[in-house]
Amino acid sequence: MSSFIFRWRRPIIIILVIMVVSLSLSYTAKVRGQVVSFSNIIGAVMSPASASLTFLGNQAGKGISTVGQLFTLQRENAALHQQLLLYQSMKLELSELNQENSQLRGLLDLKNSASAWKLVAAAVISRNPDSWFQTMVINRGTRDGIRPGMAVIVPQGVVGRVISATPVSSTVMLVLDPDSGVGAQDVRSQAAGVVNGRDPLSETLTFQLFSHRPDISPGDAVVTSSYSQYYPSGLLIGQVSRVSKSAYGLTETASVVPAVNFNQLQDVMVVLSHPGGATLPPIYGGGAR
Amino acid sequence: MWQFRFPTWIVLDVLGLLVQTALFPHVFPVGYVPNLILPLTVIIALYETPRRGLVAGLVGGLMQDMWAGRLWGLNALTYALLGFAVAQLESRIVRDNVFVPGLLAGVSQLLVMPFQWLLLYLFGLAIPWSDFMRPLPVWLLFSMLVTPAIGGILGFRPRHEVEKKYSRVAH
Repeated sequence: MSSFIFRWRRPIIIILVIMVVSLSLSYTAKVRGQVVSFSNIIGAVMSPASASLTFLGNQAGKGISTVGQLFTLQRENAALHQQLLLYQSMKLELSELNQENSQLRGLLDLKNSASAWKLVAAAVISRNPDSWFQTMVINRGTRDGIRPGMAVIVPQGVVGRVISATPVSSTVMLVLDPDSGVGAQDVRSQAAGVVNGRDPLSETLTFQLFSHRPDISPGDAVVTSSYSQYYPSGLLIGQVSRVSKSAYGLTETASVVPAVNFNQLQDVMVVLSHPGGATLPPIYGGGAR
Repeated sequence: MWQFRFPTWIVLDVLGLLVQTALFPHVFPVGYVPNLILPLTVIIALYETPRRGLVAGLVGGLMQDMWAGRLWGLNALTYALLGFAVAQLESRIVRDNVFVPGLLAGVSQLLVMPFQWLLLYLFGLAIPWSDFMRPLPVWLLFSMLVTPAIGGILGFRPRHEVEKKYSRVAH
């Protein structure tokens, strides 16, 4: 018996390894919470090293990144042009709304609710080592009041939400992540649905619409809806680039190009608390408030 | 010799993962960030016995999995098999310090990607094949250049060469 084991030790070891690993794969595919918090602890332990490397990367990588981005520059340029158009129209819309808003506020004699937004600025210190999972570690944690479930934004739009937090760091799941889902709606037609992350390489998100025959067309802006579980409503997610029927033609899905450039994410803001209703955070609208 | 020690591998894997998560995202666009565990596994396993190659890959992959915090075992399985395969090949090929590590790393990268796609597919993450394979040219070039570079910088050599050197010193 022992000679049998000795003779076949290599295949036995390999089969055992494969079995154990497959078990852990199927287990972790179902259970998420603990696995994420464990990796968050690693992120916290490594955060001084990550932060210093990130600082070095910020300083030195600026030149190199231009070379690295040569492949995507042209596409990015076109996308930026589109975004610029979107922003210009949005700015107009915003200034109109602002005016109307302030008039109404004056009528109602309410204090400026923008001041009720509580944001914490944080720096991105590391990303997920697997390129198909899109999470990142930021340098603020429960000590600064951050809790899992809080939305993370930048002036350009929605970044993601906090999924795990330690006292000094937290892990943020980007909207690009295949597991991410955000309640969203079309600004023009109010068509509602869920924006799911697809994979970072396609550089788009999937907007799955609830209604059978929704009114949606390329160029529409997509924002977080008031049904969203984690996000304040009215935050820009992106712009519809393509509308397609899903399999069997039962529902329609739209491809959404995210408003945030995830390549150059260095500083983000975590929304600690926000007033209810459709008010925008003070970082929006080019400082009009 | 420190090259063959288990703690060395862990230190190298930690450094590799740090660079990969904190430094590389500034250089490579989202989704194109290359992996450093693959070059490390190839260069370590190239001078090891199959069983130790398997362990080296398993350790590196497991660390990446825990760091990523999603599917524990995805990279562990991939790199354990890779380490085993590279170490198996090792005894059958003529070795040099530049072309063989580079070529092996390139072939490994080619084989690893479909394997991981399949694993992700089996465990509920169906990424379109064309999107998944898009970073392949970048990663191929990266691993083919970086693997010999790591080997050269760290001075990795076959065991018999290292031991011969020691015996010569002793005499």
